[in-house]
This record gives sequence, structure tokens and C-alpha cells, in this order.
Amino acid sequence: MPAYHSIFLEDRDVPVIGNFPVLPLRTRTRGPAYTLPPLPPNADTEVPPDSESYDCVDEILSLFRANVLFRNFEINGPADRMLIYGTLFITECLGKVKPTMTARDAEKALINVALDHFAIPGDVSFPLNQAFEAPRDRQDAETLRSYLSQVRQEIAIRLHARLYPGGVGPSKWWLSFTKRKFMGKSF
Amino acid sequence: MASQTPAVVMDNGTGYSKLGFAGNDSPSFVFPTAIATKAGAGSAAGSAPGRPPVANKPSFLAGGGGGASSHLSAKRGTEDLDYFIGDEALAAANGPGYAINYPIRHGQIENWDHMERFWSNSIFKYLRVEPEDHYFLLTEPPLNPPENRENTAEIMFESFNCAGLYIAVQAVLALAASWTSSKVTDRSLTGTVIDSGDGVTHVIPVAEGYVIGSSIKSIPIAGRDITYFVQSLLRDRGEPDSSLKTAEKVKEEYCYVCPDIVKEFARYDREPDRFLKHTVTSPNGRSVSIDVGYERFLAPEIFFNPEIYSSDFLTPLPNVVDGVIQSSPIDVRRGLYKNIVLSGGSTLYKDFGRRLQRDIRHLVDARIRASEARSGGARSGGLDVAVVTHKRQRHGPWFGGSLLGQTPEFRSYCHTKAEYDEIGPSIVRRFALLGGPGSA
Repeated sequence: MPAYHSIFLEDRDVPVIGNFPVLPLRTRTRGPAYTLPPLPPNADTEVPPDSESYDCVDEILSLFRANVLFRNFEINGPADRMLIYGTLFITECLGKVKPTMTARDAEKALINVALDHFAIPGDVSFPLNQAFEAPRDRQDAETLRSYLSQVRQEIAIRLHARLYPGGVGPSKWWLSFTKRKFMGKSF
Repeated sequence: MASQTPAVVMDNGTGYSKLGFAGNDSPSFVFPTAIATKAGAGSAAGSAPGRPPVANKPSFLAGGGGGASSHLSAKRGTEDLDYFIGDEALAAANGPGYAINYPIRHGQIENWDHMERFWSNSIFKYLRVEPEDHYFLLTEPPLNPPENRENTAEIMFESFNCAGLYIAVQAVLALAASWTSSKVTDRSLTGTVIDSGDGVTHVIPVAEGYVIGSSIKSIPIAGRDITYFVQSLLRDRGEPDSSLKTAEKVKEEYCYVCPDIVKEFARYDREPDRFLKHTVTSPNGRSVSIDVGYERFLAPEIFFNPEIYSSDFLTPLPNVVDGVIQSSPIDVRRGLYKNIVLSGGSTLYKDFGRRLQRDIRHLVDARIRASEARSGGARSGGLDVAVVTHKRQRHGPWFGGSLLGQTPEFRSYCHTKAEYDEIGPSIVRRFALLGGPGSA
């Protein structure tokens, strides 16, 4: 049984930039993503995949601990690229959280990572350019950058909720995956 | 009278030796196959560290006048008797003056001089029997060269003067051990044995008591690797104690096989009581408590997803088993799928058999569907895949030996001392099939 793939591979008509998918997100940050309905108040952090609010960030977070153990991953379509990007970004986030940080400090650190200047596919410093195509023109590049920024912030926020369940933490169970390198790559 | 004594069953493995009497349901002694000899003059040439072991064969096989034989006979002094085996050997090797040796490597006897002394102590010091009065059932790995059998017979008959000898293949005995399971009804000696010990895992197809040598596959993932993996997970988390010993304890006490790792991670999020605590007490009396978490199901997962542990071996165990059966003769494949028998300590994880059965079944069903589609409308009758889990897995080969050694006809399958004296060591190249059709 190889690594887990995205269930969004089955979704048709997902717009792509280069070959990166622009999947809908459940988010409050503004950007080019189609926004899914928010969760009902006091819902579980774990969203069932058949829920209409289930988005790719939920999937990335639930598959992270399993997939990060794998060194090989076959890309079956655009949605898998989102999975790769998200998984590597979580690893980057975990590297910024120190075991001694309080919930507030960690939140600040995570938001900083998410908002920092980052490379997009096609940039020289982007590590996965063999598998990711560059956007066609400047305008596409701008859209991709703001979409990825949405994804990064959403991952950072929801990862924080998992690292500090009930405000205590950080969870050593999550931090133990810091040193693992999915596909042997990192940002 | 000799005919009343139970047969002695000895299963000497790379890691542990299992000794006992036929008819018992567990071995009387289980200890490491290790021998501690005087480090100085007494140690044989083969035991020098850094050099490949030289096979010290019994005198007449080594060829007259050769260095090995004269060397051996020259040093038969009293220091020759100064040695320990098993747990005592490990203890003695910690002190000064003794060096530890492992006479069996990869299942095969490498150092005959050490092995002879190991057997001598096993028989006289541990089992405390008179070999003249007992028949012996020994085991050998699959594909053991017949010369090794002859060496074994030479030691058994000429040094120990044992009454009779039978040498059985471990995989066949493991099949016999599975007869205790309620799932097994027909007591056949056809099946696939998955033997996973400490060093290596073998997948061995056996058809009617005979090993299909060309189809055997071994996997470089076994108990020791699982321990290392647990240790690396403990270290990643910065647990206060992550020694190999602790990792081994965690592996043995808490690990199980899960159906799906993503679902299992989610389950640990929902049910925090699945995280456990393990208390390690060090020899000086201090005790520390460590957390036990995801390694409970991740550790045995390396059989099913070797990729998460090793970078050079990537084929999951179910695929290896399927490949082994597919490479066996077509007329026995059905029997091989129907009777997949587990043996060895690393197959004891809860639900190991269930997961293996499910994964192999998926592979088989997918292939059947594909060939149905290609045939254009033909229907397959289906293929039964069954993995047999039973209570005697840990010492499977030994228990199988105990089972077969207690049958009344066991002695008629053995070669006796008189037959050996008449024909010579070559007599042990062939044994009638114990437990095969017509017996039991």
C-alpha cells in the first residue's frame, strides 16, 4: 500500500494554474479561492470527507502524519500537487514551533511563516520544479501567489489548533514528525 | 528400556535455541544460540573477530593433514571444557577472559567445533539425558546443503552416540504446528510458511512436505528492524529513555497491526486513552516513565509498507507472498493460498494475520478481475486465501517437532545408530517424510 492520494483527484473542472489546482477552501482570508460554507459552531476539528465544508486543507492535515513517512509519491493529477505542497508546508511550520513555545508565541510564529515571502512554482528557489509547471504569465503568477497565501494561512491556523488542543501544548506527537522529509524534499 | 523414552526435540535457530521433549507443549529451554569460550588459546580460528569464520568440520571431512584438523586435535586439552552456552555465555562474556561466539549464522551452522560443544552442553547440562536412550529430532533451514546434514549426523552419532536421528525442515514443522488451529481441518503438509524471527523473514512454499526451493523469498525486515524503528520514533519524540532494550519492550508489549494508518491516527486523536505510558526501571533502581503512542501501530506497519523504514527494500510482505505463490508450480498454488501459516516471534502482533489475509486477498481478487475482463465474459470460481494464526506461532518449528516426535511411528522414520554404523554419514541425506500421507 503506497502513500495516500488526494480524494480531490476525482473532482472534475478544477481550474489549474500551470498544473497546480485551485481547489475551494473553507477560509475567511480573502483571495481567489472559491469559499466553502463555514463549519457549524463548535464542530469537531476533524471534518468528515463527505461534508460539504471538507476542503483540501482538512485532507492535508489528516493525511500528513501518514504521508510524511513516505519517500516516494506518484503524482496522479493536479490535486496531488496540492497535497505535496501542503505536506511540505506543514513540515516547515513544525520546524518553527519549539517545544517550549506558548500557544500565543507559536501562533505568531506560524502566521509569520505563512505570510513570509515564499517561492511559487517556477521560481528558481522552489524545490519541486520538476513536478510543478510555472504559471503562464505575470497575472497567473500573481493569482497563484495569493491563492497559495490563502492556503498557507489556513494550514497555519488549523495546524495551530491541532498542536495546541484546548490551548495546551505543543503536542509532542505532532512535533515528532518535524524531522521527517516527505519525498526527501523540504522548503 | 529405550523404547519408552520421549524423543529429544532441538530447534537451533540463529538467535535462539529451543530444547525439549516430544509430547510437551512448550520447549523446556529457550536460550540464545551463543557460546562463550576462553578468549586466548582455546578459541578456534574461525572465531577471531574481523575474519570470516572458517568452517571447522569434523575431522574426516576436513581432509587429512589439513591445518584445521591437526589444529583441532592438538588443542583438545582441558581448556576445551571451559565454556558456557546460552544466557550463561552472555553473562560470562561480560566478564574478562571469555569471548562470545554465535555458531549459527543465517540459520546454518558455521562453526562445527562450537556447535558440537554447544550441543554437548545442551544435552548433558541442560536436558540432562543420556543420548544412548533417546531419539533426536533436529531441525534445519530450507536449502541446507546435504553435507551439513552429514556433519550433524557425524556429531550426533559418533560424539554423542545417540540412539536415532531425524532431521526435519523448519518450515515443514511450522506447517505441522498449525494443525492445532481450529481453522485447519485437513492436516496437509501443503502451505506457505511465513517465518519471521529476529534477523530475517522467509516466505517458504511447501508442497506435500517438500520445500519448493526455487520459489523461496526472504525479506530483510524482521524483529530487529521493528525494534530499531520503534527506537527511532522514540528518539524523534525525545523520550527520556530510548535504549534498544526499552524499544524492544515497547515493541513486545504494546504493538499491534491496524487496518489503515490514516484512520488509526484519527482514532488516536479521538480517543486519547490509546496513548499509553511505559515505566522503565534501570538497574540502579531509578525509574522513568515514557509515553507510547503511534509506534504501537506504526512499528509492525513496516511489514506492509517497508518504505517508511527502509530505502532499499520496498516490496510489502503481502506482495512478496503473492509473488512466491505465483512463481510456484501451478497445480499447488491453490493449496498454497489456502494455507498461509505464520511462524516466529515477529508474527505475533495482534491482527497481523488478518491484515495479511486482507491484503493478499485484494491482490488476488484484482488479478482475477483483470483476467476475467480480458477473457471477455468468463467467470472465475474465485480463490480462497486464508492466513492461519494459531497459538503455537512463537516456537512453531519446535512445537511441530514435538507433535510429530510423539507419534508412535516417529521412530520408524529415524535413522538409528546401527544403520549409521553400517552405511555411514550419507544415510542422512534422505529421510522418509514425517507426517506425510499415510502417517498420523
